[in-house]
Amino acid sequence: MTNNNGNYVTIKGTKEGLTIVLNDQCSYQELLEELKKKIEREQRLFENGPQVEVRVHAGNRYLSKSHEEEITEVLNKTGSVRVHEVHSNVMTKDEAHEAIEKATVTSVTQIVRSGQVLRKKGDILIIGDVNPGGVVEATGNIYVIGALKGIARAGTEGESHAVVCASVMIPKQISISDTYFYAPEKHEKQEQKPAIEGPGYAYVTGEEYKAIAFEETKMLGHYLRSVSYT
Amino acid sequence: MGEAIVITSGKGGVGKTTTSANIGTALALQGQKVCLIDTDIGLRNLDVVMGLENRIIYDLVDAAEGRCKVQQALIRDKRFDCLHLLPAAQTKDKSAVNPEQMQEIVETLRPEYDFILIDCPAGIEQGFKNAVSGADKAIVVTTPDTAAVRDADRIIGLLENEDIEPPKLVVNRVRSDLSREGNVLDVEDVVATLAVDLLGMIVDEEHVLKAAHKGEPIAMNPNSRASLGYRNIARRLLGESVPLMAVEEKKSFFSKVKSLFGIKA
Repeated sequence: MTNNNGNYVTIKGTKEGLTIVLNDQCSYQELLEELKKKIEREQRLFENGPQVEVRVHAGNRYLSKSHEEEITEVLNKTGSVRVHEVHSNVMTKDEAHEAIEKATVTSVTQIVRSGQVLRKKGDILIIGDVNPGGVVEATGNIYVIGALKGIARAGTEGESHAVVCASVMIPKQISISDTYFYAPEKHEKQEQKPAIEGPGYAYVTGEEYKAIAFEETKMLGHYLRSVSYT
Repeated sequence: MGEAIVITSGKGGVGKTTTSANIGTALALQGQKVCLIDTDIGLRNLDVVMGLENRIIYDLVDAAEGRCKVQQALIRDKRFDCLHLLPAAQTKDKSAVNPEQMQEIVETLRPEYDFILIDCPAGIEQGFKNAVSGADKAIVVTTPDTAAVRDADRIIGLLENEDIEPPKLVVNRVRSDLSREGNVLDVEDVVATLAVDLLGMIVDEEHVLKAAHKGEPIAMNPNSRASLGYRNIARRLLGESVPLMAVEEKKSFFSKVKSLFGIKA
């Protein structure tokens, strides 16, 4: 432990709570050691105070998932600190690719026919129909310019604010994250009516009992704004 | 150089074989040189529908495996100038032939005919792959019911992955009386769902069954509306533009009067 003069970890107070800035030039081991020491030294400070939100800034150091967990654990041990986020300026190429995929809208000009599965990361824009027996899956939203007569699965990685939009909404099944909608069986209903007349979107509603509801497309902006506040 | 057209449907029993036989016949009536290939190995019946079962010596599998020349396996239909049938084998199964062999057979036949019609077996397995491999065009046959349309949709999806022109649709067994009451899909619903060009529609008639029973394709009978449907398809394949036939039969004055009094017309 040479050169350990306490410069690697800086604790700053901001109006949102505490920010811990980690030096990005030293070795990870040195950094962790110092963080532990500093936290121990300041233990008194944390112990009796109210719950503090902490943001960790790692600068230009890449932190793997296990490193992140380790740092969070050291901080959480104090009891009164809650780690809000661990921020780093660097990410791996894989993570970057995934982030790009999730943020993109893939547009597809085709009819998704019976037996075909269209699966994409991010949002999907389909210019064409989704026929009965066809499946569309996206981690984000699904937009169909045409008739949705098959199955649409949005938010497949748990995004429950995702929506399914279609010009003509006659789906057999819609799922958003883990909430499902099934069209009534033929024998249950005389006429096969659309889930909503005209262009519409499907979204998850309800607190305790979640269900999929339909609304006219012109209200979509409203919904997205209300969701972004929560 | 002839065109090779595969006639397929996915679902069984919608009338692939009947359609193959009748389009072939209708084209032959127009003076075209036609060769029909039955690829339903193990369950052949195009020969029966055509009434050509008695003279079969060699079949598709013999030709594919080189036990005979392709030309030797052909059955000539004596009713026409040039309508030939390459029958399927009855004792083997679909795996007896592979796509490369099918292509080879089609290529051997191509220079000698105007049209090569390939009758595809039901299903999406080996038999389907064989039948499609040699074709450059496809006709999808369906009936106006939900299950058949669903399978036709699946087949069109599979055909889109093949190196083949966008398929054309034939809607078979159209019943105007049922679709008018909204009990079954009508032709427009089917075309709207499948989003492919309609090549023709065939009204449901008992003449078709009777003709198949006799081994004489309905297209040879000039007095049937189903026959007219097949002849129109043949003319469209030859590039003529023929308007779609009205589904409803024009009623004569007498039958209108009769139905007015409740007598079955």
